[in-house]
Amino acid sequence: MTEYLIRRFIQSLFVMFLISIVTFALIHAAPGGPTKIFLSPGLSQEAAKVQAHNLGLDRPLPEQYVKWLGNLIQGDLGYTFKNHLPVADILWPTVGHTIVLMGTAWFLSMLIAIPWGIYNSTKEYGWSDQSASFISYIGFAMPTFWFGILLQELFALKLDWLPLSDMWTIEKEGQIGDLLLHLVLPVSVLTLGFLAGYVKYARTSMLEVLEQDYIRTARAKGVRESRVIYRHALRNALIPIITIIGLDLPILVSGAALTENVFNWPGMGRLFVEMALAREYSVLMAITIVTAVLVIIGNFIADLLYALVDPRVQLGRKGGTAA
Amino acid sequence: MSVLLIAVMVAGCSKSNSTDKEGEKTDTPTQTEPVGDKSTDPGTAVAEDTPTDGGTLTISSFSDIVSANPLFIQDTSSGDAAFFMFANLYDLDREGNVAAEPWSLASEKPEISEDGKTYTIKLKTTAKWSDGQPVTADDVVFTFDAIRDPKVASPGISQFDKVDKIEKVDDYTVRVTLKQVYAPFQYVIASAIVPAHVLKDVKPEELLKHAYGTDPTKTVTNGPWKWTEWKQNQNLTFEADPSYWGPKPHIQKVIFKIYADQNTEVQALLKGDVDLTQAIPVTQVEAVKQKSEINVVLEPGPLYEYVGFNFNADNFKDKFIPFSTPKSRQAIAYALNRQGMVDNVLKGTGKLMNAPFLPGSWADPGDAVVNYGYDAEQAKKLLAEDGWVAGSDGILVKDGHRFAFELQYNAGNSRREQVAAVMQQNLKDVGIEMTPKAIDFSAWVEQNLTPGKYEAVLLSWSLNNPDPDGESIFSSKYFPPNGQNSGWYKNEKLDQLWVDGYSTVDQNERKQIYAEVGKEISTDLPYVFMYQYGLPEGIGPKVKYEEGDRPEPTLPYGYFFHINNWWIDSK
Repeated sequence: MTEYLIRRFIQSLFVMFLISIVTFALIHAAPGGPTKIFLSPGLSQEAAKVQAHNLGLDRPLPEQYVKWLGNLIQGDLGYTFKNHLPVADILWPTVGHTIVLMGTAWFLSMLIAIPWGIYNSTKEYGWSDQSASFISYIGFAMPTFWFGILLQELFALKLDWLPLSDMWTIEKEGQIGDLLLHLVLPVSVLTLGFLAGYVKYARTSMLEVLEQDYIRTARAKGVRESRVIYRHALRNALIPIITIIGLDLPILVSGAALTENVFNWPGMGRLFVEMALAREYSVLMAITIVTAVLVIIGNFIADLLYALVDPRVQLGRKGGTAA
Repeated sequence: MSVLLIAVMVAGCSKSNSTDKEGEKTDTPTQTEPVGDKSTDPGTAVAEDTPTDGGTLTISSFSDIVSANPLFIQDTSSGDAAFFMFANLYDLDREGNVAAEPWSLASEKPEISEDGKTYTIKLKTTAKWSDGQPVTADDVVFTFDAIRDPKVASPGISQFDKVDKIEKVDDYTVRVTLKQVYAPFQYVIASAIVPAHVLKDVKPEELLKHAYGTDPTKTVTNGPWKWTEWKQNQNLTFEADPSYWGPKPHIQKVIFKIYADQNTEVQALLKGDVDLTQAIPVTQVEAVKQKSEINVVLEPGPLYEYVGFNFNADNFKDKFIPFSTPKSRQAIAYALNRQGMVDNVLKGTGKLMNAPFLPGSWADPGDAVVNYGYDAEQAKKLLAEDGWVAGSDGILVKDGHRFAFELQYNAGNSRREQVAAVMQQNLKDVGIEMTPKAIDFSAWVEQNLTPGKYEAVLLSWSLNNPDPDGESIFSSKYFPPNGQNSGWYKNEKLDQLWVDGYSTVDQNERKQIYAEVGKEISTDLPYVFMYQYGLPEGIGPKVKYEEGDRPEPTLPYGYFFHINNWWIDSK
C-alpha cells in the first residue's frame, strides 16, 4: 500500500510537470498571448512595451516558465498582469463558492439517484423506472442554462418566491438562511443534470450484476431478496458508479460556467470565462493547475474507494483486481 | 457575450477635443431626441416630489474593474467606478462644453492665452482628499507629469504629447504650456487627478503595481463617494464621504453589482435587484419597456460603427484593391440599406452618419456632407461609370478582377454579425461579392487591426470626449503599427484640414474647417460611416431626478450625468 502511494505520488508529480509545461506553452502560443496583453488600439505601443517590461513579460519564455514554476512550488500563484492582484486572493474564494454550489447539487443528486436507481433495477419498467427515464431524458436534453432561465422567469420574476441570482443578498451576506434561498434554483438545475446520469448508471450497473451467476446462486440458496440486493449485488454494482464519481469530482471545483453565469454565482467556472476574456493568463494557468491536481486526486480517491467496497481489489498489484 | 462590449470599448479611440466659447453654438445638440419615453411611461424617473437624502443605488455592471487609479484607467468599468470616487478638474455640461461645476476641482474655466498655447488651471481652495489633505497644484502637476513619464506607462501618455511644460504658479494655480495650438487639449485636462502626497515616493515603474486603485483602504479620493469595498467579480461599494468638500450628494450608498450574463442583468433590473443598467441588449428593449415603471433611455451614446476600407495593396490578392476609386466606395455606400439596419438590427436605437461627427454635436456639418440614401440603382450606375461590367457569375469584373472582398468583424458580436449579413445581401444585389469573416477579438486586434492587415473591417470608435478632432485615426501620420489609421488611408487635403482644425481655439473657425472635413471625407469615403448607436440605459422606479439632471447618453459617462443631484425614493 505504502509503496503504491509513493509510486502514485511520483507519477502524479510527473503528470503535473507535463501539464504545467503544456499549459504554459499553449497559453503563450495563443494569439493575444501574455506578451501582447497590453496591445490594444487604445494604448500606445510604447506604453504597452514599458508595461510588459515592468512585468517581465519581455523575458525569454523558458526563463519566465522557470520563474513561474519556482513560485508555484512555493505556493505562490503569482499576480494578475493588469492590476497586480494576488491570484490566490481571486482564485480561492471562488473555489469555496463553487464547492458550496456543486457539492450541494452533487450530494443531493447522489442521495436521490443511487437509491432510486437501485429500486428501479428491482422493478424494471415499473412506473418509477419509467419516470426516472423520463426525467433523465429531460436532464440530458435540456441545456442547463436554458432550464435556469426558465426557473428564474417563473420562481424569481413571476411568482417572486426566490432570489434571481447571486450567492447572497448584499446586506445579508454570511446568513445561512439567505444562502439556502439562493441555492435553491441553481442547485435544482445542476441536480437535474447530475441526476440524469447517475440514476441511469445506478440502475444499469445493478441490472448487470443481478444477472450474474452468483446472484442466481445466492437466490437459489434461499438468501433473502433484500440481502441479495444490498449485500451481494450492491457492492459489486458500486464499482462502476464510483468510477463515474471519481471522474466527476473535479467538476465540484472547476464549476459549471454556464450555470454560474446565469445565476451570477461567484464561482470558478465563471472566473475562468471572465479571466479568459480579460486575458489574465496568470489566473488561467492557476485554474488549470488547480483543476489538474483535482483530477489526479479524484482518480486517486476513486481507486481507494474501490478497495473499500471490494476487498478483492488490491492496490498496487499488477492487473489490479485479480484476487 | 462579454466580447461584444469589450470589443467596442477596447477599440475606444483616444481622441481629444475641445469646445470653446459657449455663446457661439448654433444648435443645442442634445435636445434633438426626447429622453426616455415619457408620454407612454407614466412612471418615469422624473421627479414629482422633493429630493430626500439616504438610500442605496444599485448599478449593474457587465465586467469588473481593473484599477480605479486615474493614471491607468482604460476600460469602461474602471472609469465608471472612478466617476463616483474622484472629482474632475473640469466637468462637461449637457452640451459637451468644459465647465467648472460646483463639484469640479477647478474654480473657473481654464484660462487660455491669446496665442492659444497656455492653459491656466485655477483650483478651488476648499477641495480636500478623503484623508483630509487639501487638493493643491502639486497634485495636478504630479498627475500630469506621471502621465507624461514613459516609465509610468499610462495609457494617457499620447494625449500629452503636445505639452511643452507644466508649472506650479502657486498652491492653487497650474500653468500648462503647449508646443503648438491644440484645441482639444481642454478636454484632456477635464480629468481626475491623483494625490501627490500618497504616491510621490513610489518609483514611476512601480506605480502600476501599487495598491492605489485596487485596495479601497489605500485609495485616497476626492469625490462625493468614497470606496469602501471591492469583492472581485461580485461587487463594489461606495458610501457618501462625510468629509466631502463639495455639494453633498443625496444618495448615501452606491453599489456596483457585476453580472456575468446580460440576460440575468436585465432580469435583475426587472425584478428590482438593480436600479440602473447601462446596457440593455436591443433584443430585450421591448420586454423592458413593457414593464412601465422602468425608464428606458434610448438615445445613442458617443460611439459609431463604420466599414473601414484598407488602402494597402499588399493586403489584396494580385495587389488589386477593388474599391480603390472614390466612385466604387460611394457605390458601396449607396448600396447599403443603413436605415433598414438601424430599424431592424438596432431596433431604432441608432442614428445614421455620413461623417465622423456625432449627429447634433457642434461640429456636425449637417447638410454640408454627402448623404448616402439607400439607392441600388445609383450604386449600379456609379459602378458602371467606374468601368465595372457584370461577369459570368453575376459578380462585377474590371480588368480581369472580380469585385470581391472580405469584411472582418469580431466573433460573438451579434449586432455586427447581423449587419454584415444584411451588407452581404445588399452588395450582392449590385454585383459585389462580400464575404463576412468573424475572428476572435484578441487575435483580430493582434494580427489584423494593429498591423493594418485586412481588406475591410466592420468596427466602432467610441469617442471619449466631444471634440471633433479625428487626426489620429484618419491622418497618414498615424499609419500602423504605431498609429490607429489601420486602413493606411492617405488624403493630403484631409491631413492638412485635421491640423488646421485643432490649430485654432476659435470654435466658429473650427466649425467651418470641420464642415470642409465633412464634405471631403464623405466624398472620398475612407470609411462608410454607418450609424451612431449605443445600448439603451434602463432606470428603475426608485431612482429620481429633476428634468435638468436627466442622463445625457451622448456624453462620456453621460448615463451618470449630474448623479450627485439624483435621489432614491425609498417609499
